[in-house]
Amino acid sequence: MPYNNEDLARLVEPARLHRSIYTDPEIFELEMQRIWGKAWIFIGHESQVPNPGDFFTTNINHRIPVVMTRDRKGEVHVLHNRCAHKGAKLVDTACGNARAFRCCYHGWTYNTDGTILKIPNEGGYDNTGFDLKDPMNNMQKAAGCESYRGFVFATLDPDAPDLKTWMGGALDCFDNLCDRAPEGEVEVAGGVLRYEHDCNWKFFLENLNDTMHPMVTHQSVVQAAEEYIATLPEDAVSQRAEAEIIPPFGASYEVFESSGITGFKYGHHYDGGKTSIHADYSVQPEYWDAMVKAYGEERTREIFSFNTHNTLYYPSLTIKTAVQNIRIVRPIAVDKCVVETWSFRLKGAPPEMLQRTLLYSRLINSSSSMVGPDDLEAYMRMQDGLQSTGNDWVEMYRQYGKDRDEGDRIVGGGTSDLDMRTQYTAWKNYMTEAYDTRESSRHG
Amino acid sequence: MDELRKIEQFLYDEANLLDNPDLDSWMKLYSEDGTYWMPVVEGQADPFNHVSIFYDDRVMMEVRRRNFVHPRAASKDHKVRSSHIIGNVRLQGSNDKGDLVVTSNFQALVFYRNEQRAFGGSYEHHLIPDQDSYKIRHKKVALINCEAPQKSLTIYL
Repeated sequence: MPYNNEDLARLVEPARLHRSIYTDPEIFELEMQRIWGKAWIFIGHESQVPNPGDFFTTNINHRIPVVMTRDRKGEVHVLHNRCAHKGAKLVDTACGNARAFRCCYHGWTYNTDGTILKIPNEGGYDNTGFDLKDPMNNMQKAAGCESYRGFVFATLDPDAPDLKTWMGGALDCFDNLCDRAPEGEVEVAGGVLRYEHDCNWKFFLENLNDTMHPMVTHQSVVQAAEEYIATLPEDAVSQRAEAEIIPPFGASYEVFESSGITGFKYGHHYDGGKTSIHADYSVQPEYWDAMVKAYGEERTREIFSFNTHNTLYYPSLTIKTAVQNIRIVRPIAVDKCVVETWSFRLKGAPPEMLQRTLLYSRLINSSSSMVGPDDLEAYMRMQDGLQSTGNDWVEMYRQYGKDRDEGDRIVGGGTSDLDMRTQYTAWKNYMTEAYDTRESSRHG
Repeated sequence: MDELRKIEQFLYDEANLLDNPDLDSWMKLYSEDGTYWMPVVEGQADPFNHVSIFYDDRVMMEVRRRNFVHPRAASKDHKVRSSHIIGNVRLQGSNDKGDLVVTSNFQALVFYRNEQRAFGGSYEHHLIPDQDSYKIRHKKVALINCEAPQKSLTIYL
């Protein structure tokens, strides 16, 4: 059944969602066009292509292959990964360095900025009307490519607002992540975990700031850690310290309530601000010293006092500023997606800081973690349960009517469904093509 | 040669405790400083400066064995069963700690959530002779598809 905009609008009520948004393949295809085809999608970090000729390949949605490159002049591009000739994917390795991209089929060769360099036996095109200088013979650029503090986003929509406008107040979290480095910059380090999720991509996003689930979903691992800690003798300091990473995942409703949730226009949100479940991690002394040396004590305290748990840049990226890792989601089908976890080094910080980040990524986000698989189990059960015809709706009423509109942001309680309502306001606006692109278009 | 037979027998016994999961007994095969490592890239140098699929020391094994049988661990509602085949067992000598370094190949079928999955790769065991048997100081599991996206894995391989 084809959906018109009125049909789509009816699927999202102010505090209820129709189950078909998770289960209908047709809606999934529309999401790929209208959300993933319009929003700024996170591609990668500039530190993944540090030198001229470096490249990194990914997809911008469930299908469209792109390559992030650094050209000879040092400029970063996001290019469609397709040969202009017959359409073969040009670069089929995850990352590397190339002087030029040469197609494996007929040898059309491109500069690292995407412009055509040469084609073999060119004479065959003489007087045929074919023009090698036609820009369509270059690798095509994504409609938009912008970066903020090294984080590279691209969009397929030529009318998308500029990146900063689109991020709104959620920009503060990128600043906070980078400011936590004594040198004010972060870089990708320590590899990636790829975790296959047999569920709709939106369940993963909804869970980020769902603060009503940890004490239920993660009760088992928290209790397992607490039981073990209780067996430890007083002097087992290192064992205790290691096991104590886990209990914050079972923090109480009150702790999460006090962290608050803040939402923004295009579906972005974070929980925390003043405090979060990551607020009580102790600051390692050498790291503290490096920060104070770089920023002074007052500014250092200010940086550490902005404590968020997860920040979502709807729909493709979520970052943990206090932990320095990020997760990227890529949909594959209505009931399948992949979540990648990348870790970051704080430039100028002691090496132990990266090791701490990697420990966190492994313990919490790995497919073999004792935390992530229990989350995924819940998502898969929703994917199955929502096939039921017994009830067409899921609710998001928690603290509905209490969200405070502060102009550029909406603020509410830490256990509210404000994060859900923020996402689905954006979902509805994207899907019904209701965002007014004229007011914010990069082309004025 | 007798030593190699003894080692093989030990590896089969270890695998059996994972095939019919009994993590409490499995953990007892490890030394106090024992570690279990599953790297995420080929040739990964260490588990500290690069992320891994698994890296459990005694602390995390202690938490994991309790979590594995916890009645409210939803991902464990689906029982997991495995079948390991271990071959090409080679005694490579001793390392600087005096542990026996043993490499082998393995294939494991894992049944979980109504789905059968196949894992394969190589093991590297660092074994401490202990009375008539051994303690495992370190086990590395190098999956041949370590870089590929992975589904939830609720059991050691």
